[in-house]
Amino acid sequence: MGVTSLSDIETKIEGAPEGVHVAPKTVDDVVRVLRWATESGTPVRVWGGGTRQKLGHPPTPGIVLSTGRLSDIEVWEPDDLTVVAGAGIGVDELESRLGEKSQTAVLPEHPGAATLGGVLATGRASLRRARLLGPRERVLEVTMVTGDGRVVRSGGRVVKNVSGFDLHRAAIGAFGSLGVIVQVCLKLWPVPRASATISNADPESVSRITRPLALLETNDAWQLFAWGTPTDIDEIVAKTEGEGRAGLHWPEDPRGSYRWLLRVPPGRTAEAALRVRPWRFLAIHGSGELRLASEDVEGATDLRGWAEDIGGSLVLVDHPGEDAPLDPWGSPPSTLDLQRRLIAEFDPARIVNPGRLPGGL
Amino acid sequence: MAAIAELRDLLGSDRVLDDPLERRLYSKDASLMRGDPVCVVFPGDAEQVSAIVRIAARHGLPVIPRGAGTGLTAGASPMTGGIVMSMTGMNTIEIDPDNQAAWVGPGVINLDLSKQARPYGLHFAPDPSSQSACTIGGNLANNSGGPHCLAEGSTTSHVLGLEFVTADGQIHEVGGLAPDQPGLDLRALLVGSEGTLGIATRILVRLLPIADDVRTLLLDFPSVEDAARTVSDVIAAGMVPAALEMMDQRMVMAVENWLGAGLPTDAAAVLLAEVVGSTATVESEASIIAEIGRSNHARNVVIAVESEDRELLWKGRKSAFGAIAQLAPDYYLHDTVVPRTRLVETMAGVYEIADRHDLTMLNVFHAGDGNLHPLIAFDSSDEDVARRVKLAGEEIVDLCLSVGGALSGEHGVGVEKRDLMPSSFSALDLDAQARIKDVFDPDHLLNPAKVLPQGSRCFDFGGVRREVPEGAWV
Ligand SMILES: Cc1cc2nc3c(=O)[nH]c(=O)nc-3n(C[C@H](O)[C@H](O)[C@H](O)COP(=O)(O)OP(=O)(O)OC[C@H]3O[C@@H](n4cnc5c(N)ncnc54)[C@H](O)[C@@H]3O)c2cc1C
Repeated sequence: MGVTSLSDIETKIEGAPEGVHVAPKTVDDVVRVLRWATESGTPVRVWGGGTRQKLGHPPTPGIVLSTGRLSDIEVWEPDDLTVVAGAGIGVDELESRLGEKSQTAVLPEHPGAATLGGVLATGRASLRRARLLGPRERVLEVTMVTGDGRVVRSGGRVVKNVSGFDLHRAAIGAFGSLGVIVQVCLKLWPVPRASATISNADPESVSRITRPLALLETNDAWQLFAWGTPTDIDEIVAKTEGEGRAGLHWPEDPRGSYRWLLRVPPGRTAEAALRVRPWRFLAIHGSGELRLASEDVEGATDLRGWAEDIGGSLVLVDHPGEDAPLDPWGSPPSTLDLQRRLIAEFDPARIVNPGRLPGGL
Repeated sequence: MAAIAELRDLLGSDRVLDDPLERRLYSKDASLMRGDPVCVVFPGDAEQVSAIVRIAARHGLPVIPRGAGTGLTAGASPMTGGIVMSMTGMNTIEIDPDNQAAWVGPGVINLDLSKQARPYGLHFAPDPSSQSACTIGGNLANNSGGPHCLAEGSTTSHVLGLEFVTADGQIHEVGGLAPDQPGLDLRALLVGSEGTLGIATRILVRLLPIADDVRTLLLDFPSVEDAARTVSDVIAAGMVPAALEMMDQRMVMAVENWLGAGLPTDAAAVLLAEVVGSTATVESEASIIAEIGRSNHARNVVIAVESEDRELLWKGRKSAFGAIAQLAPDYYLHDTVVPRTRLVETMAGVYEIADRHDLTMLNVFHAGDGNLHPLIAFDSSDEDVARRVKLAGEEIVDLCLSVGGALSGEHGVGVEKRDLMPSSFSALDLDAQARIKDVFDPDHLLNPAKVLPQGSRCFDFGGVRREVPEGAWV
């Protein structure tokens, strides 16, 4: 397909669909790829760790663009609690580096092969989100390459900034439609000295703990996660009458042929957990996010209907077949027209993950 | 004027004001810049906002949304004339304790929201020093901060959703109680857009539980450097206190003179720190901060436990800007942010600039965030002084940007900082911003000529928009 101009960065991406696979080494390479794609009208699938490639309506690519080589930690200022890293860095690698100085970027706890850019572009949150909020509250600066090959930066490398519109926050969960994320500055959080995972706690007393790090429910267990000073931890364990285990032992997401994300108003989390029961679930209390797994799609339409009625959503994250058995997103957002016009300014030929967003955007 | 007659038909004459005195009252915010509006309108709901916007569009009149007018960058000043839309009549509060949230009208006063939430054990975290006057709509539009945004983040982290009206009069709703609504997060763009993309007509905010226990510390230092180093050291020690604020000696003297909060006037700088959480946490964190302070030569450390004592300390801090009035008729202030590791050297540089221009500068700022507020008190009727104030301001911005800082941490860009935007962003970055404006408001009807300098849309040639760029500019 006449893409000799990209041959120097061609590669083979394990598990990716057929097409021209490229792994840019520099931001300029990304510019080159996207410009070529825009001129030729070739769809581009952006590939981080490949953990969310079935989410949404993934396009049949002409080009698969791996961010894997854009993976340096450019600056880490532990004393300022900020880090600047390439989009292709593995979340595991980044968090373990930060952990060396007892810091965290509050990214997903079991990321698998997921990359920083992938987690941000798909808007994946941490299990600590009820206390420390989602990824959009962690990004301070994003550099991205728009579909038509412009390098655009938004935000800054300081913890507070209102200069200009927050394009960097809008890029979270945008699947590259406003630009392929190439570099990110994150606000870090210090990890306190002591922590504990508390199980079999008395639910009544748990509800009296102010802002725990996380309160998680699965089909057969409740777990409270706490961090702070050693005295704090002892106190919380005593107060909740549970069994405390030192350290944070995060549960894995439920496994199954179909994986889903259910979002409801935070106050309806417990009700949602009851409702999804036959499926496996992991509910993040206080946030309204539930991660679900099932072996078939029976009941999905009803569950989605209920969720949408109360202002939430049910999103199909992964499925065994080629095509999703139902619309992965559900009802399209009411602001579709604004979203479409916005994307047109950043990706006029609509080549980065085209059609992948709700409403086929 | 035909537009005014139409507005009167819509709202009634008592909610459309156009006599010279009223127009003068609404001709500026708390900055130095004044405009001249055609009239001031007071809508009561989103439908009226939409109808007003349509009338304005038909007559080619800009619409300038306004909260309480406490903004510091001329965001609500009608510099291009037009209709000032005061949102203060839209001030309902519906607390939703089950979801720890509230739907509020944009005209709700910040402090009123926290007061109403208190019986539920909740509060609204962003607490600008102007919180007894400023509105949630203004907070949203400016993505305002406040002392307690250090740990909790600025307004954007507390806006779950909003209803807003675009320049074509359409009413939209984005976000909601459930997290991560599928599709683009337009809320992220609306918050902090300074009334240039849409007019917020209803806002869904997150409320946080009131902390179990609190300690407020006052540390006083023989030098600004010692105080600044304490800030850097506290952050470097892996702590994010609820608040970490600094005031220099001049500022403390002005405050003491005004309301006598008991702050030490002989200290070169004072730090106000607050820690929240369980009693065990606040006690241990307070003692660590005190220790770090002492190792940086703090002469005195007061730890306030009782709420009256803590409130008095805060009153001194939150009244700081008000205290300036005794010194000079005007003040000009910047709002740059620097990395916290560069605080000591930046502060030294900022003082050097003021001294060199022979200006009276006071400092009161959100030190924990690295968010400086160097404030120059002066008399704007003296042209030479006014010139030096502007010059010094530009040097301060340059200095802060040169150490990796940002132009504005919380006050916004408005008109005052607008033409400094190119010092922070490339032409392509600004072009991207200008495209966002064009999507929401193609005719630049909403708060025009704010935030982005003229010509930001660099690839617009004579109004012809090219569909597929050729890439000659990268
Ligand atoms: C003494 C003093 C202390 C201050 N302290 C702080 C502080 O600690 N932290 C901080 O961040 N700021 C501070 N400020 C600045 C100011 O108070 C904030 O920016 C505040 O949020 C502005 O609110 P307002 O209601 O006065 O808005 P206004 O000044 O009326 O308007 C501000 C901007 O918001 C837009 N706007 C208003 N309402 C709407 C709406 N409904 N929809 C869309 N756009 C709208 C306006 O067009 C304008 O661009 C201080 C100001 C003063 C005078």
